[in-house]
Amino acid sequence: MSDFLGRLSSVPSRPHDPDNISAERYDRQLRDLISYLKQPGVASSTSDYSDFFEIVSPSVHSLSFLFLLRFQIQLVQKRTKRDIPQNLHPGGDLWKQVVRFLRSFDPIQIRYAGYEWRQLVEVVASAAQAISKPALAVKVIADALGRLNTSGMFTSVHLTLVKLALLSSSYTHTLPIMDKVLCNFPTDTNHVHHETFLCSEHGSSAAFITDTSGFSTKLTYRDHLQFYLYSAMIYMALKRWDHASHCLSVVISSPTANSVSKIMVEAYKKWVLASLLGYGKLPPTSRMIAPHVTRVYQSLARPYVSLAEAFEKADLQKMSAEVDLGQSIWRDDKNTGLVSQLFEAYDKFMIIKLGRTFSALTIADVLQRAPSYFKDHYDTEEFVASLVMSDTLRATLSHLPGTESTTMLRFCLSTQFHAFREEHIRTRLMRGKSALNTIAKGIVQTDQTLELSDENLHFIARSQKWNGDPEKSGAVGSGEAGVGGDIDEDLMGDGH
Amino acid sequence: MDPPPLSLNQLSALLEAAPSPDDLYTSLSDYEEQACLLASQPDEVELLVDFYTAFFFSHLLTDQIHEARALTRRIPRDLLQTDSLQTCTLLLRAIWQRKHTEIYKILRELPWPERSRPVVQSYESYFQKKTLKEVSNSYEAIRPAAAASYLGLNANLAEQGDTAIIQKFTACGWRWDGETQLLHPKPIVTAPPKEHNLQNELSRVMALISNHGR
Repeated sequence: MSDFLGRLSSVPSRPHDPDNISAERYDRQLRDLISYLKQPGVASSTSDYSDFFEIVSPSVHSLSFLFLLRFQIQLVQKRTKRDIPQNLHPGGDLWKQVVRFLRSFDPIQIRYAGYEWRQLVEVVASAAQAISKPALAVKVIADALGRLNTSGMFTSVHLTLVKLALLSSSYTHTLPIMDKVLCNFPTDTNHVHHETFLCSEHGSSAAFITDTSGFSTKLTYRDHLQFYLYSAMIYMALKRWDHASHCLSVVISSPTANSVSKIMVEAYKKWVLASLLGYGKLPPTSRMIAPHVTRVYQSLARPYVSLAEAFEKADLQKMSAEVDLGQSIWRDDKNTGLVSQLFEAYDKFMIIKLGRTFSALTIADVLQRAPSYFKDHYDTEEFVASLVMSDTLRATLSHLPGTESTTMLRFCLSTQFHAFREEHIRTRLMRGKSALNTIAKGIVQTDQTLELSDENLHFIARSQKWNGDPEKSGAVGSGEAGVGGDIDEDLMGDGH
Repeated sequence: MDPPPLSLNQLSALLEAAPSPDDLYTSLSDYEEQACLLASQPDEVELLVDFYTAFFFSHLLTDQIHEARALTRRIPRDLLQTDSLQTCTLLLRAIWQRKHTEIYKILRELPWPERSRPVVQSYESYFQKKTLKEVSNSYEAIRPAAAASYLGLNANLAEQGDTAIIQKFTACGWRWDGETQLLHPKPIVTAPPKEHNLQNELSRVMALISNHGR
């Protein structure tokens, strides 16, 4: 027992290690500990592990605590013959320990036990769903993912999280995870550079989240599409149309082999609605979508396209007819809520459009020139005022003197509104600065991804020269000229 | 660290401490799990109604209207039938539709649990300030009755040119033109919020370029 406890507390997390040992030694210690904990005999060395939860700290001895939880869960599962035993249900003793761990684990130690960590997260999701309270798992999983810091890596846990969030209408805690750019998948272990240790500082999570690390199940094409579709649905619930459109664009522009999948068609339908609600029009589809794929989408989502056409042409009568005609379609596609918001969006964009033609007009003129579902002058003024007051419409209102209730709407030029305010000029400069910084960082990252670094191009050129096959090597390895010149030549060659 | 167990005393202490809206939201957010677990216990109805009412208002105080709507979907259905949470739903609808007169009426005239009154009053004051800023920046000239409706003042008195009401506006820097019987609001300029989104947007673009270049 004391030997077991001694082993459990043998490797503290680095901030708690007084010896400040090297990364190499720390890596070896953690691997030894893992080997010990995975030994077949260890799990049965004691009958109950719950006493250890008060002795071992989840933040200092995270690996040990994680395995203790595993042992205890397996033990209780065996005893009760249930996958999710009672004390693992939310509020139960074991649930509390699991939550305690997921909110305080050391992310460095956990890099050595990705599979076990993910299994624990999945247990949390299942336990919350078992009592029909998926909301209870959302914050825990979001906190755990944030703590792990997957920095741009998509994992199956991300998908689990958005599913639960959507199921339980718990969006707020998911946003910090969803708002991060996810642009990598766990890659083949062979592609990961092994010069550093798992416990070392890594610029990217690709070093420790790989296809064999266990942090994610094997991801499929469907998982990726589902994640973005569900994320879009969450953004739509929060009326963050630009984010929703982006997520839906990712789904509809995903590569296709022969035909588009059902998820992609669903996403296209929602993309049409989100675009109308967010921008008042259908932006051109991404260039990454082949024209024939766009045609397939358009034919499979015909009622949506007709609706969008009526919206864009400002044909309110046709739009109303399309909405009525497609009631069962919107219902079957679960898009009734989005369609019902189109009328208000229509009015909003009609009024915004007036600002392109007029600099000022009365509310009575607005009512006349932007036919809508408004009943009267009062309704129109209330709606216009709400647009101006919420900053959706850059304009000002003026009540005119006299007894008759005339109100003038004056559209502001965008420059007129902000440009002369010192604060805004300062902010714009700051924005410019941060934009340049981000672009500069992105360029370096892109160069690395595209393997366009000078070193790499030199290496390719040299290795191709060594192969002694200048024909095959193309322009890159074809001569002594500089790297940039070679690429230009190659591109020109392709052009012919 | 886990918060202390949720109880009526704990909730009262939290609300009486009058933390900032953000802190109140964070604290109550930490209690949502406990509330969710208590939801199946019939003797905790009072606690849960008070908790969800306060939590609902903490969303409003932090301008999270869409999230407040999502909260109403997470509240157990039987609790939603209670007077206090029904009133919350009415208030949410009025805010959603920007019906200012109705909002003030709900806040002032409908019954609220004793424990929730401080947070209801905080919201009324917050909403009034927010609306004052919006009206100041949106109107160049406004009739006193309309301005009074926006700010929850007596519109009839304002229409008759009641001095006390007009003074309330002039105290905010607005100009009163007795000849035209119109108020001229003074715009309230505040520093624009920092653009965190821009960074995300650009990162997103760069990530896409990077990925699709493969």
